[in-house]
Amino acid sequence: MSKESRMRATINQKLTEMGERERLKELLRAKLTECGWKDQMKAHCKEVIKEKGFEHVTVEDLVVEITPKGRALVPDSVKKELLHRIRAFLAQHAT
Amino acid sequence: MKMEDMPLSGPDNTKLEALVHDIYSELVEDACLGLCFEVHRAVKQGYFFLDETDQESMKEFEIVDQPGVDIFGQVYNQWKNKECECPNCKRLIAASRFAPHLEKCLGMGRNSSRIANRRLASNNNMSKSESDQEDNDDLNDNDWSYGAEKKARKRKSDKNQNSPRRSKSIKHKNGELGSSVSSEPYKYNYNTGISYETLGPDEVRSLLTTYFLFLQQCGVISEHTKKMCTRSQRCPQHTDEQRRAVRVFLLGPSAPSLPDADTVVESDSFDIPDGQTLMSRLQWEDSPDISPADSASSKASTNHSDSRRPKKKKRPSLGLNSGGGGSLTGGGGSSSSSSQSNISLSTKKKRPKLSAPSISSIYDDLN
Repeated sequence: MSKESRMRATINQKLTEMGERERLKELLRAKLTECGWKDQMKAHCKEVIKEKGFEHVTVEDLVVEITPKGRALVPDSVKKELLHRIRAFLAQHAT
Repeated sequence: MKMEDMPLSGPDNTKLEALVHDIYSELVEDACLGLCFEVHRAVKQGYFFLDETDQESMKEFEIVDQPGVDIFGQVYNQWKNKECECPNCKRLIAASRFAPHLEKCLGMGRNSSRIANRRLASNNNMSKSESDQEDNDDLNDNDWSYGAEKKARKRKSDKNQNSPRRSKSIKHKNGELGSSVSSEPYKYNYNTGISYETLGPDEVRSLLTTYFLFLQQCGVISEHTKKMCTRSQRCPQHTDEQRRAVRVFLLGPSAPSLPDADTVVESDSFDIPDGQTLMSRLQWEDSPDISPADSASSKASTNHSDSRRPKKKKRPSLGLNSGGGGSLTGGGGSSSSSSQSNISLSTKKKRPKLSAPSISSIYDDLN
């Protein structure tokens, strides 16, 4: 187990150090905007805010409402591409 | 999953996959969180709902999503099947073809005027000595296709029967068209700014001389277009023999010979003042008959030779005056004496050369 966790730690470290994590983040954000996910989520946010009254809405409220829906709404193509890239990275750099 | 992404076997594999998915989830949550922060800040700063402030205009411009209609609610091919009546020709034209039809029908618009100009120019006086290169090109295009050439030749033979240029080019074609064409009554009389119809053969000769001398052009008459070649004396399409033949044909047997590269004669100094004298004689002799454009061109060439004057390095030993009436005889006398020494011209200098002395002897003949 610790071996595994050590491996994970190493991988994560590598991801960050080599800048791959940032690149993946940017890639994901760009793809999500492109496919309209962001606009969808914003519309949902509006509804939440109107519900809660926009004077008192907090970040926590939004996070709680948005994250599960967001995760579900990511299109399959975007998901596949990201998984592919992560796997490629691991294949290259796993010990 | 792709095979190349699974380097390890069995249990490690699943662990790796789990790891991959974990990393993926992290990234997605990160994105969501980023969005939340962005929205929250927008709400608190007050710019989140800015595009929803005006309910009325929002309803007015709502996106329409019905079949057969675009997002503004307009029917997009409404006018496709309609026909309009042209106010000019009273025909019923399809709506999408209406604008181009009107352009041609009314004769306005770029294309129709271009076509009309081209037609006019080709039907017009071919004997414009300062013919536009453009017109030449347009007409020369006809040469490539035999059918067009026949048609063009026929059209050209019909027009401007009175044009002096025409008679010469016919002779040049060995009398092929010769008598048949010249006997036809002349059908068209195109009224253009430069009308050479009023010029007699003498004036045309003088004009052609100007053409040859001042402009130093090849001058060989093309069989196809019956125009003189406007390229330089060294144009590769025509030989010197042809040029000499044209000059002899047009100006008589004592025509100045072509510039010979071999002999360098220091006769440049005589040329220009003689040329000016010559042009003034031309103007006097032919003044009642020369059309305005002709005198304009001769004036232009006179001016041209004027401008060239200061550049000369050798001064004439004969003090020839330019354009003066009194110098006429003096010019004639001195030029005839130098005519023997003066036949061939040097091509070394770039200015056009004038073999004026020989020309003036021709004019003695004409006179």
